[in-house]
Amino acid sequence: MAEFRLPANSRIRAGVTHKAPQGARDLRTVRIYRFDPDCGENPRLDTFELDAAECGQMVLDVLIRIKGSRDASLTFRRSCREGICGSCAMNINGINRLACITPVSDLGREIRIYPLPHMPVVKDLVPDLTTFYAQYASVKPWLMTQTSAPPDGERLQSKAEQEKIDRPAGCILCACCSTACPSYWWNSDRYLGPAALLAAYRWIIDSRDEATGERLDALEDPFKLYRCHTIMNCTDVCPKDLNPAKAIAEIKKMLVQRQS
Amino acid sequence: MAERPLSPHLSVYRMRRYTLLTSLLNRFTGLALSAGLILLVYWLMAAAAGPGAYAQAESVLALWIFKAIFLVLLAVFSYHLCAGVRHLVWDTGRGLERAQSRASAYVVLGASAVLFLGLACWLLIRVLA
Repeated sequence: MAEFRLPANSRIRAGVTHKAPQGARDLRTVRIYRFDPDCGENPRLDTFELDAAECGQMVLDVLIRIKGSRDASLTFRRSCREGICGSCAMNINGINRLACITPVSDLGREIRIYPLPHMPVVKDLVPDLTTFYAQYASVKPWLMTQTSAPPDGERLQSKAEQEKIDRPAGCILCACCSTACPSYWWNSDRYLGPAALLAAYRWIIDSRDEATGERLDALEDPFKLYRCHTIMNCTDVCPKDLNPAKAIAEIKKMLVQRQS
Repeated sequence: MAERPLSPHLSVYRMRRYTLLTSLLNRFTGLALSAGLILLVYWLMAAAAGPGAYAQAESVLALWIFKAIFLVLLAVFSYHLCAGVRHLVWDTGRGLERAQSRASAYVVLGASAVLFLGLACWLLIRVLA
């Protein structure tokens, strides 16, 4: 059953305000969700007033600036800073996106940053993605075959066959889509979520894969697949411009078509 | 170590979005239509019970409060029908790209407004005639 309220230990209390530096040219108010697992207190919302002119262009640059010069304890994941690793996914001004490719200039005077929604929080902006990764692993994201590979080389595909999986295979597992999905919020223990289903689709339509039936069998379940109600938040937020909603619709179609 | 808190969801996610807004409206209009069925059942049961009961139901349902409810249900029905057609198209695997679903959200809102006004005018003309 969906629980719409946050549990008692998760309600957000008022936090600390860090005042603006003198003579700021491009003043921004950045509100950031903070949770310190060591202090035993509820999460809080800290406010940092800062001069965006002193930072780089992206939200990630702002976070690095705050960590470097205002509060060294601020914790977030980041790596590639160019939208390919998927580490810095977070909820920025109400929408899940990658901090490293979200320009500050798109966001207005107030920037609100929270961890990915409806996830257990390890610290500050770092969510626990254990379940998310386990769901990805559960769709067996690797090539499954019965026949042996050709003795003289790889299993070949036509260009058209490869192009079918180009886009679904572009997933970086940032979890923006799954944690934007209300169905996933209420049923993340049983619904696989858009990211895992997109991965499943990528292997179902792979011309070299020989376990299509087995993969479809595994998904034919009221919760794993059919908790998708086509809300479309997944496709809306995907920072790689992929289409999990379409992948899920195609899986549903295949399940119907194979009955006739 | 303290138990991990749950990150905020409904309270922080942007609700006025073409995705969530149309989906929520579809849910709530569906619920309202189900509730509206009670009136239909009442009317049918009165019709089955005989002329006396039917005449009584007719006079009850003619009260202005029920007319207002019917008007709301008409709007609710118009939206739910158009949104349902959108879902039907989606189930065929079409119209699921971001730009398409954004456009169809506005089409559904516009079409349901037109449908509602059309039905309301038609009813009004029939009542006045």
